[in-house]
Amino acid sequence: MTGRTVAKEGAAPLRAPRLNGRLTIAGAAACAFAALVLVLALTTHRFLTWQNIKAILSSASLVGIEALGLTFVTMVGGVVSLAVAEVAVVTAMAFLAMLGAGLVPALAIAMALGAAVSGIQGFAIGAWNANPVMFTISAAFLIDGVGQGLNNGQIVQPAAGGYGTLNATPLGVPVAVYVLVGLALALQFVTRRTVLGRQIMLVGENRPAARAAGLPITRVVTLAFAIAGIAFGIGGAFLGSFNAGASVLSEGTITFDAIAAVLVGGTSITGGHGSPLRTLAGSLAIAAITDVLLLRGFSTGPQVLLKGMLVVVVVVVTQARSRGRR
Amino acid sequence: MIRARRLLRGPWARTEHLLPVASFVVILVAFLVVPGLEGDPLNSGAWFNGFQGFAPLGLVALALGLTLIAGEFDVSVLGMQALGGVLAVRAGGHSGLLGVLAAVAGCGFLGLVQGGLIARLRLPSLPVTIGSYVALIGLTNVLANDQTLTYGNLNASVWVDNTLFGWFSPRSLITFAAFALAIALIGCTKLGPELKALGAERRGARVSGVPVERRITLLFVISAALAGLAGALLSYSEASATLDPGLQPLILAVAAAVLGGVSLSGGRGVVWGLLLGSVAVALLEQLFTIISLSAATTQILFGALLLVIVSVDAPDLKTSLRATGQRLAQRAKPRSETV
Repeated sequence: MTGRTVAKEGAAPLRAPRLNGRLTIAGAAACAFAALVLVLALTTHRFLTWQNIKAILSSASLVGIEALGLTFVTMVGGVVSLAVAEVAVVTAMAFLAMLGAGLVPALAIAMALGAAVSGIQGFAIGAWNANPVMFTISAAFLIDGVGQGLNNGQIVQPAAGGYGTLNATPLGVPVAVYVLVGLALALQFVTRRTVLGRQIMLVGENRPAARAAGLPITRVVTLAFAIAGIAFGIGGAFLGSFNAGASVLSEGTITFDAIAAVLVGGTSITGGHGSPLRTLAGSLAIAAITDVLLLRGFSTGPQVLLKGMLVVVVVVVTQARSRGRR
Repeated sequence: MIRARRLLRGPWARTEHLLPVASFVVILVAFLVVPGLEGDPLNSGAWFNGFQGFAPLGLVALALGLTLIAGEFDVSVLGMQALGGVLAVRAGGHSGLLGVLAAVAGCGFLGLVQGGLIARLRLPSLPVTIGSYVALIGLTNVLANDQTLTYGNLNASVWVDNTLFGWFSPRSLITFAAFALAIALIGCTKLGPELKALGAERRGARVSGVPVERRITLLFVISAALAGLAGALLSYSEASATLDPGLQPLILAVAAAVLGGVSLSGGRGVVWGLLLGSVAVALLEQLFTIISLSAATTQILFGALLLVIVSVDAPDLKTSLRATGQRLAQRAKPRSETV
């Protein structure tokens, strides 16, 4: 679908917006939307309190961690993975079941399982150029079925109590928030400062060019998906700890929330652009908007409606910038 | 011999024709044979139930398949189906027909907005429809006040599931009618080749005079209206509107489309293939019910089936396997020389 030949220079793909009629309309709409949200937020009672900011941070943490992983899938040209929640839940199950061996081994197993399950999908997408959306959605269905079959559909209970550490709140902020920020910084480093990161960007930007340049496409895509899987595994461990149990019912809307965070962060769906830090910003923005609606007493319906519209608006603005790609 | 080879090269040998026929025949044989092996031969109830499953599945598969042929992907059918269900229940309290019309018109209008946006701004359809899917689920919840709506119009509920001709109901016949209409429309007009051209070579289609923007917009309107219709009829049948259908309808529709010979990369597929694919998947689902597989096993089987299909559909599979084979052969060679 991409036929882009625009050369990118430098690390940060910042482009000056081109002035054309459609862009200005889209940009104006986006600015109006942002202003509206800002005004709503600042005029909302109790929005700017430390208590509320902590609430926003902790509600952003779980989906944020998954979204950081998903960013790698998108950047390498895998569009999106629709198996985020499913991978997270099976890793949560493994994490809880392995707690008897101790917290650290259980975490390691969750991360390894996530990397393996996601990496296999990455292999099919990298080596065979399988349609990523369809492949991951099929994998999601399969994994979900396995998750239901395991433990006969019962909730997997923690084998030991070590998970409490993940629910702790040092300095009043949940551990997940520290992990979210730390992971964002680490993944940002991988993206910008390592060979693998640059390779991921090139493969995502232009696969034929990357192949012509002799990049090992299969390995790069598999590794990008495996890194994503590690993040899904970490998120899964937190998911299992929050709920003190795991079943396919805990999947909820994690997949689409994570996709929303990546898209709102401005990562281009066609690959080759984006950054974990922007995804972090995206997940914080979504959490803040949801929080405003919550404080103003809106129910689930309007919250979900606004989240979806936000994604559409951001996609229109970010994609309308690079025109003539088809 | 020569004639047989020519036959293999003819239009029937094309994947878009061969795949739906082959998958339909395989699944039909399984549907006819397997229940008998289990000691419980088929009765007309099994066919009826199979076509009841086909009713919503076929409409969504048609919606998704048409957009796939044109190289677009419409995730929002899930949301449109949910919205259609709630609109029909809200508007169809006195007249079932009015509810269906409201669902089709409401979803069609939103499809027009979405399609216009995608076509005019040349946006990739996947992220837009993911966003609109989430928004539509939100809108559905708003319209239903976050509660499952029950449908009080029993007459309409009973009517849509009436047994007709032993195997069918008005619901499944409406789906067949939608397919017949699509086959007629796309088979007898320029629309068919235009859709394929859009999916195979967008720029070429534009240059050769296909009104790209209008066709894409139209497709999204049709897709939304069909999904809305599916949701409306389903909520009548269940006498309540589901607020979140989950991913299952999309998975089954993708399976139907791909078994029906539609390529995921666009530009390949025919409507009658979609029809065969949808019936095949509906019968397969019914077969799993008859032999009382658990929900988990059914899901694993469908997931595995779809993974295989998507892998076979992958453009670089052959190249990759050949390269691996060569690499293995090269590695084996020096060893055999030293031995």
